[in-house]
Amino acid sequence: MISKLNKLLFSGLLVIVCTAANAQQLRAVHGIVSGQREKGNAETLAGAMVTTVDNTVSTQTDAEGRFKLDIQETSLKIIVSYVGFLSDTIDLHPGENHLTINLEQSRKLKEVVVKQRRKSTEMSMIDPIKSEKIGQRELLKAACCNLSESFETTPSVDVAFTDAVTGYKQIQMLGLAGPYTLITRENIPDTRGLAAITGLTYTPGSFIEGMQLSKGTGSVVNGYESVAGQINVEWKKPFEEKDEKWLFNLYQSTQGRTEGNLVYRHKFSEKLSSNLFLHAKSQWAKVDMNNDGFMDQPLDKQFVGANRWFWFGPKGWEIQGGVKGTYVENTGGQLDYERGGEQVSGKPWGYEQNTQRAEGWAKIGKMFQGTKGTSIGLQLSGIYHNQDALYGSRSYLATQRTFYSNLIFQTIIHNTNHVIKTGLSNVVDDYNERLSGTPYARTEIVPGAFAEYAYSASDKFNLVAGIRGDYHNIYGAFATPRLHLRYAPFKKTVFRASVGRAQRTANIFAENLGYMASNRGFLITAANPGNPYGLAPEIAWNYGINFTQKFQLNYRDGAFSADYYYTDFRNQVVVDVEDPHSVRFYNLSGVSFASSLHAQLDYEIIHRLDLRLAYRWYDVRTTYDMQLKERPLIAAHRAFGNVGYETKNHWKFDYTIQWVGSKRVPAVHAHGGGIEAEGYSPSFVQMNAQISKTFKEVFEIYLGGENLTNYMQHDPVIGTSNPYDTGFDASMIWGPVMGRNIYAGLRYKIF
Amino acid sequence: MKQIIIILSIIFSCSASFAQDKDIATASFKVEGNCNMCKKRIEDAAYIKGVKRADWNKDSHQLTLIYKPSKTSPDAVLKSVAHAGHSSEKTAASDADYNKLPECCHYKTNTCEH
Repeated sequence: MISKLNKLLFSGLLVIVCTAANAQQLRAVHGIVSGQREKGNAETLAGAMVTTVDNTVSTQTDAEGRFKLDIQETSLKIIVSYVGFLSDTIDLHPGENHLTINLEQSRKLKEVVVKQRRKSTEMSMIDPIKSEKIGQRELLKAACCNLSESFETTPSVDVAFTDAVTGYKQIQMLGLAGPYTLITRENIPDTRGLAAITGLTYTPGSFIEGMQLSKGTGSVVNGYESVAGQINVEWKKPFEEKDEKWLFNLYQSTQGRTEGNLVYRHKFSEKLSSNLFLHAKSQWAKVDMNNDGFMDQPLDKQFVGANRWFWFGPKGWEIQGGVKGTYVENTGGQLDYERGGEQVSGKPWGYEQNTQRAEGWAKIGKMFQGTKGTSIGLQLSGIYHNQDALYGSRSYLATQRTFYSNLIFQTIIHNTNHVIKTGLSNVVDDYNERLSGTPYARTEIVPGAFAEYAYSASDKFNLVAGIRGDYHNIYGAFATPRLHLRYAPFKKTVFRASVGRAQRTANIFAENLGYMASNRGFLITAANPGNPYGLAPEIAWNYGINFTQKFQLNYRDGAFSADYYYTDFRNQVVVDVEDPHSVRFYNLSGVSFASSLHAQLDYEIIHRLDLRLAYRWYDVRTTYDMQLKERPLIAAHRAFGNVGYETKNHWKFDYTIQWVGSKRVPAVHAHGGGIEAEGYSPSFVQMNAQISKTFKEVFEIYLGGENLTNYMQHDPVIGTSNPYDTGFDASMIWGPVMGRNIYAGLRYKIF
Repeated sequence: MKQIIIILSIIFSCSASFAQDKDIATASFKVEGNCNMCKKRIEDAAYIKGVKRADWNKDSHQLTLIYKPSKTSPDAVLKSVAHAGHSSEKTAASDADYNKLPECCHYKTNTCEH
């Protein structure tokens, strides 16, 4: 019955839908495109654009230069274009449906600079891995400041405070905490290990050119760790002529935060160019908007400096490298706490953290010009990270030294429809941690090899299949298979699926810094002696499907997308906070999973007025002591709306509203003493807005507000009367701990 | 399941056909210009009241308009475009307006790389 009904509905729709299409006669034109080099013979051009004059229908040539285009009978001309060649307009004579097109080389390869208005977040239709490209415009929607804050206008990522003392925010993707997402800087792993949470603040927004966010399993080329997804951050490039030479940025908030950024680029020659990045930030005012005697965020001083170089040599050589230094000093806790104060009962409770981080990286690549599509690249990166913190009488001192190397060889088989990437990698991690005097030290050495095959014969179907094998000096050998599929039945419709395995060592302290802002005991059930912390590695499989549909409604463009991801943990280091006196870490015994469903609609209602609506649902459960429970402090439902408008004279308006559903709060100490039973937090609404105006493309001022409803979690710190007593807990945070914040700032560019 | 997906796809891919109403016309004109900076300027100028969509193709120099004939006319659009400095097959830009264009967009003499 149901299937009959379906068929009826289906055919009915087909009739309605296709009458419009049938009214217009289509004509199939096919042909081959070649290009005439100044020296040498004509060669077929793969990837040349073929479009109708009104730009309604377009295609690209395949690897052999062939194309096929269904055009309306009324179209009389097509345009063929290819970078480096003069575009040609071809007259279509009736009956002549096979074309041989030869393009002439343009005298000089002209750099094409796109200055069109682009969508702030674009979803790629062609990549087999779905990725949201977050551009400059999206980044500027939140005027600040650093990576973790820049996600506040992105519905795919949740941002929440880790605790009510340190001011750090943690991102969440697919219902999994930030450290499950691989964060890379230009495809080199960046904020791993100790910096898993704090590291997001070390990349100021002004340094960033754009980001690519992809959910689900990633490419094996970038390692075996990413469970929930990958966020790749691209810094500003020094060789882009269209970019400004200098960028100054100043920011001031009513909550006493001042920030300044400077980005400078210099092109010494066509071959050599360099960037200088400087950032200074200070939280200099003590703010306590919830009147609990605790600063809502610590006082801080933060400096970041980076310098990097690009060299494009002859014969396809390219070398780039950079250094970055980060220094952060935080002081928080009770309002009258002074840095270095004695932390005993009766004295003010204080939080201090000092971070020094030094990084250096290099990429060396060579494109083999004789053999098409073949290249070899070596990525190197070294990190030294030292982080010393005091949370009341609890001390946490930690040092990380990491050396990463990744050698990638890429080639094609016959043509660019078959691309092979293969290579070798080695990661050395050395950690020395000391929690309240107890040392934890480990060295992990993981050499590995990988191979990835990408197949993309037609516009309709692609596939990326990869596998890597790694040998871990403690856990032994393991394999990481990953697969991505893309199928586009229609030009504006894409389905994708992915599956893959991930493995990682949980840095249990650095990833749970928030719980240190309490008097909970850190208890580890060390079931695997000899392993880091005596725990097994985390192993998870991630399965995902997604669907993107672009459409035109009332002559305006839009896109609808939906995705579903399921992460299945074979082993997890369970972080158990069900008992208010402790945080317990143990190997998973039973099931643990995270389901995530996300639906999003992007539509340009009228010219320059963009609307984005999104809804996401999580079901994240873990077995805590034989009992399958919802993971605490994660909202099952979240709805998101954003409206952006840009006027012709460069005013920009942005408004974001989100509704965050209730979260499970485990049993906690009650404010008056005793224990408050497990329950659910209230849901809440948050709003952000920003107005900016650009003058002559060089000077921009902005004014904005965060948390405009001034919604705050009441009494986020439990046991404020005696923070040295067992009842003290500032880690059970489900809502905003900072109230309304108004900010203003400016950006000045010199070209 | 498969059918549902197909139905959904068709609904979305063809939703444009549903939205069409009688008071809509499409027209295409040649408008002088160079580059993507010109493209932005031409399209911005073309979006006057009654224009649903304006696309200028950098390679063919064709401006394709979708508009409501009851509210505007191609002449009015091209006038607005000419006022922004870009001549078309129907309306020529005045020298004053043309000279306001940035150096690289002087399509009569220069070729622009932006």
